[in-house]
Amino acid sequence: MTETGVLLQQVVNGLSLGAMYALLAIGFTLVYGILELINFAHFNVFMVASFIGMWALQLLGISGQSRVLTGLALAGSLGFAFVVTMAAAGVIGVVIERVSLRPLRGVGGTAGMITTIGVSYILFNVILLTVGAGSENYPNPLPVHRWQLGQVVVELKEVLIWAVSLILMAGLHIFVSRTRLGKAMRATAQDAEAARMMGVDVDRVVVTAFFLGSALAGAAALIFGLYYNYTSFIIGYTAGLRALTAAVLGGIGSIPGAMVGGLLIGLIETLGGQLIAVRWTDVIIFSILVLVLVFVPAGLFGRAAPTKS
Amino acid sequence: MLSRRAIILSLSSAAFAGVFVGARGRLLAADKSVTIGINLPFTGADAHDAELIKDGAMLAIDEASAAGGVGGYKIEVMQLDDGTATAGQYDPAQAATNARKMVGDDSVVAAIGPQMSGSGKAMSPILSQGGLATITPSSTNPDITNPKFAAQYRPGGKAIYFRTVTTDAYQGPNMANYFADTLKVKSVYVLDDSGAYGVGLANAFEAQAKKRGINVLGHDQLNPKEADYTTTRTKIKQLNPDAIYYGGVAQAGVKLVKQAYDIIPNVIKAGGDGVYGAEILKGAGFPAAQGWYATIAAPNVLENPDAAPFIEHFVKKYGQQPDNYSITAYDAALVILDAIKRVAASGKEVTRAAVRDAIQNSHVKTLQGEVSFDANGDIENRVISVFQITHNDKYPSDDVLHQYKYVGVAPASS
Repeated sequence: MTETGVLLQQVVNGLSLGAMYALLAIGFTLVYGILELINFAHFNVFMVASFIGMWALQLLGISGQSRVLTGLALAGSLGFAFVVTMAAAGVIGVVIERVSLRPLRGVGGTAGMITTIGVSYILFNVILLTVGAGSENYPNPLPVHRWQLGQVVVELKEVLIWAVSLILMAGLHIFVSRTRLGKAMRATAQDAEAARMMGVDVDRVVVTAFFLGSALAGAAALIFGLYYNYTSFIIGYTAGLRALTAAVLGGIGSIPGAMVGGLLIGLIETLGGQLIAVRWTDVIIFSILVLVLVFVPAGLFGRAAPTKS
Repeated sequence: MLSRRAIILSLSSAAFAGVFVGARGRLLAADKSVTIGINLPFTGADAHDAELIKDGAMLAIDEASAAGGVGGYKIEVMQLDDGTATAGQYDPAQAATNARKMVGDDSVVAAIGPQMSGSGKAMSPILSQGGLATITPSSTNPDITNPKFAAQYRPGGKAIYFRTVTTDAYQGPNMANYFADTLKVKSVYVLDDSGAYGVGLANAFEAQAKKRGINVLGHDQLNPKEADYTTTRTKIKQLNPDAIYYGGVAQAGVKLVKQAYDIIPNVIKAGGDGVYGAEILKGAGFPAAQGWYATIAAPNVLENPDAAPFIEHFVKKYGQQPDNYSITAYDAALVILDAIKRVAASGKEVTRAAVRDAIQNSHVKTLQGEVSFDANGDIENRVISVFQITHNDKYPSDDVLHQYKYVGVAPASS
């Protein structure tokens, strides 16, 4: 492989990784946009969802990589797994909001954020204590297909990641910009008090934000499992931290910001690893984050100043 | 200030415990007991292999208890977990806490563990100051027993970190020799998992590989908490080495095995004893794990006919196959039990110090042959066994005994 070929290949790797981060980052940004709360439970909603996806696939009799499906059977089983995982993750998000955050609404300070850290640990330990600590061999019915495009190899798995991410992000964009509920979300994000006075049901908006964010984390989790053929109770931490960084980099509260931030973090990670060394990945990512926050404090796509006084 | 208070506290509690134990010794002479500590990472990525090690040790202890104890002493076990949920694998901080717990309990006369060198580095200074001997059945980082680092790992003076396996000072270099002599490797890319064991092993391998004229194309680190190793994989593919060598444990190993599969084909893939175990087979699965080489820092006893009764007994009791580190753990327990027996037979009180001295002078017949230690606590029998993962579909795919095919001994450096 030539030098450019390798760099292009790392771009392909970075885009796959970035698409996952973007899906996960949207969850942080949706909740932050409406409640101004960083939801640390999101880390482990992602992790739990990857197990739910695994069980959904196992329910269909798919285990390990031995059983390869094609055509309708493949589309059907993947579709089933995505629907189940996203719905379950969405419900987990809604339950977390209802049980642990709504009672704290109106309580100022960091109470809500600290609560989400607690919830995150609960989810983490539930999986640790019920499933165990081993790495799971994630079921994957996808056939191995590779296309040589010039100097770059693209895998079927990667195409799947990009397709699913694009569809979900486009869907989210349409939902937020075209529907009544989406309009209510935007209004609440701008000014919750005023939105409430105009008759917007803020509770419903908050529930929607949690459902959508968590469902996208569910999709990211299933993609994660299929891409790496691996899951474990610890996957939430690194992926969640990178995704949160992506959300902040893009401007937390901004949906396009989360998408772009995710892709950027993915690219920084792979290209930084190639050009410098993989052991420096975290240093590179967080240095760039610091620089962006120093020069563009609101993030790349963020609003310049908070609207609340 | 705090530390002075802590010293006074621990001194007075030690004095109190001494009085208490003395009193108990007099009053309950009929059923005297001593405790053996067991410290292994039962939480996290290596839990399964830790379980196999514990089972091996417990088998020896249970056999001794069934025979009515050792030298008139009942054997109790204090089992501690140095794996934590936050680390997702062994956690040196927890290991240090556990070491303090064992040292603080006067009935503990010897210990088995830790599984991991990272824990060993954290524990050995504490154990040394407490005068408590431990025998590790699997941790192979040479620094811990190296007299050069005695001030750091052995501040108490005497050797307290014994091993029933040899060290990475042999495991890495001998595998480099195997690469050069048997596998005829010309170029290699080296990876480690940034842990104490992994870095030491990878560096020892790399140094010997260079000495043997193998071209080392690069050396990078994997972050065990990270899921994505595609960057590393693409880098390796570009360099097109004959082989990769991974120094590290299962947490990063499983993901490396998975992601290295079929993107870098026709490359010889090998690791140390971190790649030997059920965790790799279970987490990575077949076909990804197929063809990987792994070593262990002990002789391959499992295929030795002498081990057959042990294996039969183990399978009957625990419902799964042992691995070679179940055997080194069994051996470690035999050494400790033998030491307790010798101290008791000599008429002395079975104390920590007496047991340590007895372990130091061991000549114990075990499953892997006679175990004896040098002045630093290292085993005198230094064998590195090489295995290759070869799928045998007649057995469960995480059955270590049947999925790792023994291919020989890695030659020592001349």
